[in-house]
Amino acid sequence: MALDIKHTFDENTFRHSINGHGFVLHCHHYMSLTTKLAEDFADLGAVRVLAEAAEDSLRPVLESYVKEHGITGPADRLAVACEYYSFMGLGKMTASGSAAGGEVQLPHSHVDEGWIQKWGKHDKPINHFTRGFVAAMFAVAFDKPARSFEVAETASLVMGAPLSVLSVKAA
Amino acid sequence: MTVMRDQVVRQLVQVEAKANDDGLIPGFNVLVNQLPCSFWNTVSERMMAITPPDRKAAMEAALVNCAYECGYHTGYGIITSPEFESVVMPMVTEGAKDVLRGAYAVFTAWGWAKSGIVQIKEGEAMTIRAVDYYEADSGGEGRRAYMIRGVSAAFMELAYAAPYPNGMNTFKSEQTRGIEAGDQFGEFAVTKK
Repeated sequence: MALDIKHTFDENTFRHSINGHGFVLHCHHYMSLTTKLAEDFADLGAVRVLAEAAEDSLRPVLESYVKEHGITGPADRLAVACEYYSFMGLGKMTASGSAAGGEVQLPHSHVDEGWIQKWGKHDKPINHFTRGFVAAMFAVAFDKPARSFEVAETASLVMGAPLSVLSVKAA
Repeated sequence: MTVMRDQVVRQLVQVEAKANDDGLIPGFNVLVNQLPCSFWNTVSERMMAITPPDRKAAMEAALVNCAYECGYHTGYGIITSPEFESVVMPMVTEGAKDVLRGAYAVFTAWGWAKSGIVQIKEGEAMTIRAVDYYEADSGGEGRRAYMIRGVSAAFMELAYAAPYPNGMNTFKSEQTRGIEAGDQFGEFAVTKK
Protein backbone atom coordinates (compact mmCIF):
# COMPACT_ATOMS: atom_id res chain seq x y z
CA MET A 1 0.00 0.00 0.00
CA ALA A 2 1.50 3.32 -1.09
CA LEU A 3 0.57 6.33 0.98
CA ASP A 4 -1.05 9.33 -0.62
CA ILE A 5 1.30 12.11 0.53
CA LYS A 6 0.59 15.80 -0.02
CA HIS A 7 3.60 17.86 1.06
CA THR A 8 3.09 21.62 1.15
CA PHE A 9 5.50 24.42 1.97
CA ASP A 10 4.12 27.75 3.21
CA GLU A 11 5.90 30.53 1.34
CA ASN A 12 5.14 32.99 4.12
CA THR A 13 6.01 31.10 7.30
CA PHE A 14 8.36 28.60 5.65
CA ARG A 15 6.63 25.78 7.47
CA HIS A 16 6.13 22.29 6.04
CA SER A 17 2.88 20.34 6.13
CA ILE A 18 2.22 16.76 5.23
CA ASN A 19 -1.41 15.86 4.57
CA GLY A 20 -2.44 18.96 6.51
CA HIS A 21 -0.28 18.40 9.61
CA GLY A 22 2.78 20.50 10.46
CA PHE A 23 5.92 18.37 10.08
CA VAL A 24 9.61 18.99 10.69
CA LEU A 25 12.86 17.17 9.95
CA HIS A 26 15.17 16.21 12.80
CA CYS A 27 17.87 13.60 13.28
CA HIS A 28 18.71 10.52 15.34
CA HIS A 29 20.79 12.61 17.73
CA TYR A 30 17.70 14.60 18.66
CA MET A 31 15.56 11.47 19.05
CA SER A 32 18.26 9.58 20.98
CA LEU A 33 18.88 12.48 23.35
CA THR A 34 15.16 12.97 23.89
CA THR A 35 14.87 9.28 24.74
CA LYS A 36 17.87 9.57 27.07
CA LEU A 37 16.28 12.63 28.69
CA ALA A 38 13.18 10.55 29.40
CA GLU A 39 15.34 7.85 30.98
CA ASP A 40 17.30 10.39 33.03
CA PHE A 41 14.11 11.89 34.44
CA ALA A 42 12.29 8.56 34.79
CA ASP A 43 11.62 9.26 38.46
CA LEU A 44 9.32 12.11 37.33
CA GLY A 45 7.39 9.90 34.92
CA ALA A 46 9.24 11.17 31.84
CA VAL A 47 9.29 7.77 30.10
CA ARG A 48 5.51 7.67 30.24
CA VAL A 49 5.35 11.28 29.05
CA LEU A 50 7.44 10.46 25.98
CA ALA A 51 5.29 7.47 25.02
CA GLU A 52 2.06 9.39 25.57
CA ALA A 53 3.33 12.39 23.61
CA ALA A 54 3.94 10.05 20.68
CA GLU A 55 0.51 8.48 21.06
CA ASP A 56 -1.29 11.82 21.28
CA SER A 57 0.58 13.59 18.48
CA LEU A 58 0.61 10.72 15.95
CA ARG A 59 -2.97 9.69 16.45
CA PRO A 60 -4.47 12.74 14.64
CA VAL A 61 -2.13 12.11 11.70
CA LEU A 62 -3.21 8.48 11.32
CA GLU A 63 -6.85 9.14 12.12
CA SER A 64 -7.30 11.93 9.58
CA TYR A 65 -5.60 9.85 6.89
CA VAL A 66 -7.82 6.77 7.26
CA LYS A 67 -10.97 8.89 7.53
CA GLU A 68 -10.17 11.03 4.50
CA HIS A 69 -9.36 7.94 2.45
CA GLY A 70 -12.35 5.91 3.65
CA ILE A 71 -10.18 3.17 5.13
CA THR A 72 -12.32 1.30 7.65
CA GLY A 73 -10.90 -2.21 8.09
CA PRO A 74 -8.59 -2.65 11.10
CA ALA A 75 -6.00 -4.59 9.10
CA ASP A 76 -5.92 -1.88 6.44
CA ARG A 77 -5.62 0.81 9.10
CA LEU A 78 -2.71 -1.02 10.72
CA ALA A 79 -1.10 -1.26 7.29
CA VAL A 80 -1.46 2.51 6.81
CA ALA A 81 0.26 3.08 10.15
CA CYS A 82 3.14 0.78 9.15
CA GLU A 83 3.57 2.74 5.94
CA TYR A 84 3.50 6.06 7.81
CA TYR A 85 6.13 4.72 10.21
CA SER A 86 8.49 4.10 7.30
CA PHE A 87 7.57 7.34 5.55
CA MET A 88 8.63 9.24 8.67
CA GLY A 89 12.00 7.49 8.62
CA LEU A 90 11.28 5.50 11.77
CA GLY A 91 12.03 2.06 10.37
CA LYS A 92 10.24 -1.00 9.07
CA MET A 93 7.16 -2.29 10.87
CA THR A 94 4.73 -5.20 10.59
CA ALA A 95 1.64 -5.42 12.77
CA SER A 96 -1.24 -7.78 13.39
CA GLY A 97 -3.92 -8.04 16.02
CA SER A 98 -7.47 -7.53 17.20
CA ALA A 99 -9.31 -5.26 19.60
CA ALA A 100 -7.90 -7.44 22.37
CA GLY A 101 -4.28 -6.85 21.38
CA GLY A 102 -1.61 -7.99 18.99
CA GLU A 103 2.03 -7.87 18.06
CA VAL A 104 4.31 -5.50 16.21
CA GLN A 105 7.73 -6.37 14.81
CA LEU A 106 10.48 -3.97 13.81
CA PRO A 107 13.29 -5.35 11.66
CA HIS A 108 14.58 -1.77 11.49
CA SER A 109 14.11 1.07 13.95
CA HIS A 110 15.32 4.68 13.81
CA VAL A 111 15.17 4.91 17.60
CA ASP A 112 17.23 1.76 18.22
CA GLU A 113 19.66 2.11 15.34
CA GLY A 114 20.13 5.80 16.12
CA TRP A 115 20.89 4.96 19.76
CA ILE A 116 23.36 2.27 18.70
CA GLN A 117 25.10 4.70 16.31
CA LYS A 118 25.40 7.24 19.11
CA TRP A 119 26.17 5.14 22.17
CA GLY A 120 26.24 1.46 21.21
CA LYS A 121 24.02 -1.29 22.55
CA HIS A 122 22.00 -0.86 25.73
CA ASP A 123 20.94 -3.20 28.52
CA LYS A 124 17.21 -2.46 28.33
CA PRO A 125 14.62 -1.46 25.71
CA ILE A 126 14.45 2.25 24.93
CA ASN A 127 11.86 2.57 22.16
CA HIS A 128 9.32 4.51 24.20
CA PHE A 129 8.40 6.61 21.17
CA THR A 130 7.28 3.53 19.25
CA ARG A 131 5.32 2.16 22.19
CA GLY A 132 3.28 5.36 21.97
CA PHE A 133 3.01 5.16 18.20
CA VAL A 134 1.76 1.57 18.43
CA ALA A 135 -0.82 2.52 21.06
CA ALA A 136 -2.08 5.20 18.66
CA MET A 137 -2.19 2.91 15.63
CA PHE A 138 -4.16 0.22 17.46
CA ALA A 139 -6.56 2.82 18.90
CA VAL A 140 -7.16 4.21 15.40
CA ALA A 141 -7.46 0.73 13.88
CA PHE A 142 -10.12 -0.33 16.36
CA ASP A 143 -11.80 3.06 16.97
CA LYS A 144 -10.82 3.23 20.62
CA PRO A 145 -9.98 6.27 22.76
CA ALA A 146 -6.47 7.17 23.85
CA ARG A 147 -4.80 4.88 26.43
CA SER A 148 -6.92 1.90 25.28
CA PHE A 149 -3.83 -0.22 24.65
CA GLU A 150 -0.79 -1.07 26.73
CA VAL A 151 2.37 -1.69 24.75
CA ALA A 152 5.45 -3.48 26.06
CA GLU A 153 8.73 -4.00 24.25
CA THR A 154 9.59 -7.68 24.68
CA ALA A 155 12.62 -7.87 22.38
CA SER A 156 14.82 -5.02 21.33
CA LEU A 157 17.30 -4.23 18.56
CA VAL A 158 19.20 -1.97 20.94
CA MET A 159 19.86 -4.99 23.18
CA GLY A 160 21.14 -7.07 20.28
CA ALA A 161 17.95 -8.90 19.28
CA PRO A 162 17.51 -9.53 15.54
CA LEU A 163 14.33 -7.48 15.60
CA SER A 164 12.30 -5.51 18.10
CA VAL A 165 8.98 -6.97 19.21
CA LEU A 166 6.20 -4.99 20.85
CA SER A 167 3.36 -6.78 22.58
CA VAL A 168 -0.01 -5.00 22.57
CA LYS A 169 -2.80 -5.63 25.09
CA ALA A 170 -6.16 -3.92 25.52
CA ALA A 171 -5.99 -1.87 28.72
CA MET B 1 27.29 38.19 -3.27
CA THR B 2 26.50 36.67 0.08
CA VAL B 3 24.19 33.84 1.08
CA MET B 4 20.62 34.69 0.07
CA ARG B 5 18.47 32.84 2.58
CA ASP B 6 15.21 32.72 0.69
CA GLN B 7 16.93 31.58 -2.50
CA VAL B 8 18.64 28.76 -0.61
CA VAL B 9 15.41 27.79 1.11
CA ARG B 10 13.50 27.54 -2.15
CA GLN B 11 16.14 25.27 -3.66
CA LEU B 12 16.54 23.06 -0.60
CA VAL B 13 12.84 22.45 -0.01
CA GLN B 14 12.89 20.57 -3.31
CA VAL B 15 15.21 17.99 -1.70
CA GLU B 16 12.89 15.23 -0.59
CA ALA B 17 13.51 13.25 2.61
CA LYS B 18 12.68 9.82 1.26
CA ALA B 19 12.98 6.63 3.29
CA ASN B 20 14.96 3.67 1.94
CA ASP B 21 13.71 0.06 1.85
CA ASP B 22 14.46 -0.25 5.58
CA GLY B 23 12.20 2.70 6.38
CA LEU B 24 15.19 4.82 7.34
CA ILE B 25 16.35 8.17 5.95
CA PRO B 26 20.14 8.30 5.97
CA GLY B 27 21.49 11.73 5.01
CA PHE B 28 23.89 14.44 6.19
CA ASN B 29 25.84 11.75 8.12
CA VAL B 30 22.82 11.08 10.36
CA LEU B 31 19.53 9.24 10.30
CA VAL B 32 16.84 11.80 9.55
CA ASN B 33 13.26 11.62 10.81
CA GLN B 34 10.22 13.66 9.84
CA LEU B 35 7.64 13.96 12.58
CA PRO B 36 4.72 16.20 13.45
CA CYS B 37 5.86 19.45 15.08
CA SER B 38 3.21 18.73 17.70
CA PHE B 39 5.22 15.72 18.89
CA TRP B 40 8.30 17.75 19.75
CA ASN B 41 6.21 20.55 21.29
CA THR B 42 4.17 18.10 23.34
CA VAL B 43 7.33 16.45 24.66
CA SER B 44 8.91 19.71 25.84
CA GLU B 45 5.64 21.09 27.21
CA ARG B 46 4.80 17.97 29.23
CA MET B 47 8.39 17.40 30.39
CA MET B 48 8.44 20.90 31.85
CA ALA B 49 4.97 20.41 33.33
CA ILE B 50 5.96 17.29 35.32
CA THR B 51 9.16 18.85 36.64
CA PRO B 52 9.11 20.32 40.15
CA PRO B 53 10.44 23.89 40.59
CA ASP B 54 13.78 22.82 42.03
CA ARG B 55 14.55 20.74 38.91
CA LYS B 56 13.14 23.05 36.21
CA ALA B 57 16.59 24.43 35.34
CA ALA B 58 17.97 20.92 34.89
CA MET B 59 15.08 19.89 32.66
CA GLU B 60 15.38 23.07 30.59
CA ALA B 61 19.13 22.47 30.17
CA ALA B 62 18.46 18.87 29.11
CA LEU B 63 15.90 19.98 26.50
CA VAL B 64 18.35 22.55 25.11
CA ASN B 65 21.12 19.95 25.09
CA CYS B 66 19.06 17.56 22.96
CA ALA B 67 19.02 20.18 20.20
CA TYR B 68 22.56 21.36 20.88
CA GLU B 69 24.14 17.96 20.20
CA CYS B 70 21.77 17.40 17.29
CA GLY B 71 22.71 20.79 15.84
CA TYR B 72 26.42 20.17 16.22
CA HIS B 73 26.51 16.78 14.52
CA THR B 74 23.75 17.31 11.98
CA GLY B 75 24.97 20.85 11.34
CA TYR B 76 28.37 19.49 10.43
CA GLY B 77 26.71 16.94 8.16
CA ILE B 78 24.75 19.75 6.53
CA ILE B 79 27.64 22.11 5.85
CA THR B 80 29.77 19.29 4.42
CA SER B 81 26.96 17.79 2.31
CA PRO B 82 26.79 17.77 -1.50
CA GLU B 83 23.53 19.75 -1.27
CA PHE B 84 25.23 22.52 0.72
CA GLU B 85 28.19 22.45 -1.66
CA SER B 86 26.01 22.88 -4.72
CA VAL B 87 23.38 25.31 -3.38
CA VAL B 88 25.08 27.41 -0.71
CA MET B 89 28.82 27.40 -1.34
CA PRO B 90 28.63 29.27 -4.66
CA MET B 91 27.17 32.22 -2.69
CA VAL B 92 29.81 32.13 0.05
CA THR B 93 32.05 35.18 -0.24
CA GLU B 94 32.57 36.07 3.41
CA GLY B 95 34.06 32.86 4.83
CA ALA B 96 32.74 31.46 8.10
CA LYS B 97 30.12 34.19 8.42
CA ASP B 98 28.53 33.15 5.13
CA VAL B 99 28.74 29.46 5.97
CA LEU B 100 26.82 30.31 9.13
CA ARG B 101 24.24 32.25 7.10
CA GLY B 102 23.92 29.20 4.87
CA ALA B 103 23.43 26.93 7.87
CA TYR B 104 20.54 29.14 9.00
CA ALA B 105 19.06 28.98 5.53
CA VAL B 106 19.06 25.18 5.83
CA PHE B 107 17.67 25.55 9.36
CA THR B 108 14.83 27.52 7.82
CA ALA B 109 14.35 25.13 4.89
CA TRP B 110 14.00 22.15 7.20
CA GLY B 111 11.10 23.88 8.96
CA TRP B 112 12.82 24.60 12.26
CA ALA B 113 12.38 28.38 12.20
CA LYS B 114 12.13 31.26 9.74
CA SER B 115 15.28 32.74 11.08
CA GLY B 116 18.51 34.50 10.34
CA ILE B 117 21.50 36.29 11.79
CA VAL B 118 20.82 39.93 12.67
CA GLN B 119 24.16 40.71 14.31
CA ILE B 120 27.48 38.97 14.49
CA LYS B 121 30.85 39.67 16.05
CA GLU B 122 32.97 37.04 14.38
CA GLY B 123 34.19 34.37 16.75
CA GLU B 124 32.65 36.15 19.73
CA ALA B 125 28.89 36.62 19.65
CA MET B 126 25.82 36.38 17.46
CA THR B 127 22.16 37.40 17.62
CA ILE B 128 19.54 35.31 15.85
CA ARG B 129 16.03 36.47 15.13
CA ALA B 130 13.16 34.13 14.22
CA VAL B 131 9.91 35.60 12.95
CA ASP B 132 8.15 32.24 12.91
CA TYR B 133 9.00 28.92 14.54
CA TYR B 134 7.07 25.82 15.47
CA GLU B 135 8.12 25.95 19.11
CA ALA B 136 6.08 29.15 19.40
CA ASP B 137 3.01 26.89 19.24
CA SER B 138 3.98 24.95 22.37
CA GLY B 139 2.07 25.29 25.60
CA GLY B 140 3.60 26.29 28.90
CA GLU B 141 5.08 29.35 30.49
CA GLY B 142 7.90 31.72 29.62
CA ARG B 143 10.28 31.48 26.67
CA ARG B 144 10.49 27.91 25.51
CA ALA B 145 12.25 27.68 22.15
CA TYR B 146 14.71 25.12 23.53
CA MET B 147 15.50 23.70 20.10
CA ILE B 148 16.51 27.00 18.51
CA ARG B 149 18.63 27.84 21.55
CA GLY B 150 20.56 24.60 21.38
CA VAL B 151 21.09 24.56 17.64
CA SER B 152 22.25 28.20 17.62
CA ALA B 153 25.09 27.52 20.05
CA ALA B 154 26.06 24.47 17.99
CA PHE B 155 26.12 26.36 14.69
CA MET B 156 28.32 29.08 16.20
CA GLU B 157 30.75 26.39 17.32
CA LEU B 158 30.84 24.85 13.86
CA ALA B 159 31.78 28.24 12.44
CA TYR B 160 34.20 29.56 15.05
CA ALA B 161 35.25 26.93 17.61
CA ALA B 162 37.89 24.21 17.20
CA PRO B 163 37.33 22.10 14.07
CA TYR B 164 34.67 19.38 14.27
CA PRO B 165 34.38 17.26 16.40
CA ASN B 166 36.48 19.14 18.98
CA GLY B 167 34.61 22.45 19.22
CA MET B 168 31.81 21.63 21.63
CA ASN B 169 31.13 23.55 24.84
CA THR B 170 32.63 26.78 23.51
CA PHE B 171 29.47 28.89 23.17
CA LYS B 172 26.20 29.23 25.03
CA SER B 173 22.84 30.49 23.88
CA GLU B 174 20.06 32.35 25.69
CA GLN B 175 16.59 33.22 24.45
CA THR B 176 15.93 36.92 24.99
CA ARG B 177 12.53 37.21 23.27
CA GLY B 178 9.82 34.77 22.30
CA ILE B 179 6.63 34.81 20.24
CA GLU B 180 5.28 32.25 22.70
CA ALA B 181 5.89 34.77 25.49
CA GLY B 182 4.08 37.62 23.71
CA ASP B 183 6.95 39.21 21.75
CA GLN B 184 6.73 39.92 18.02
CA PHE B 185 9.63 37.59 17.25
CA GLY B 186 12.03 35.23 18.92
CA GLU B 187 15.56 36.37 19.61
CA PHE B 188 18.58 34.37 20.69
CA ALA B 189 21.91 35.62 21.98
CA VAL B 190 24.93 33.37 21.47
CA THR B 191 28.05 34.24 23.44
CA LYS B 192 31.29 32.58 24.48
CA LYS B 193 31.14 30.44 27.61
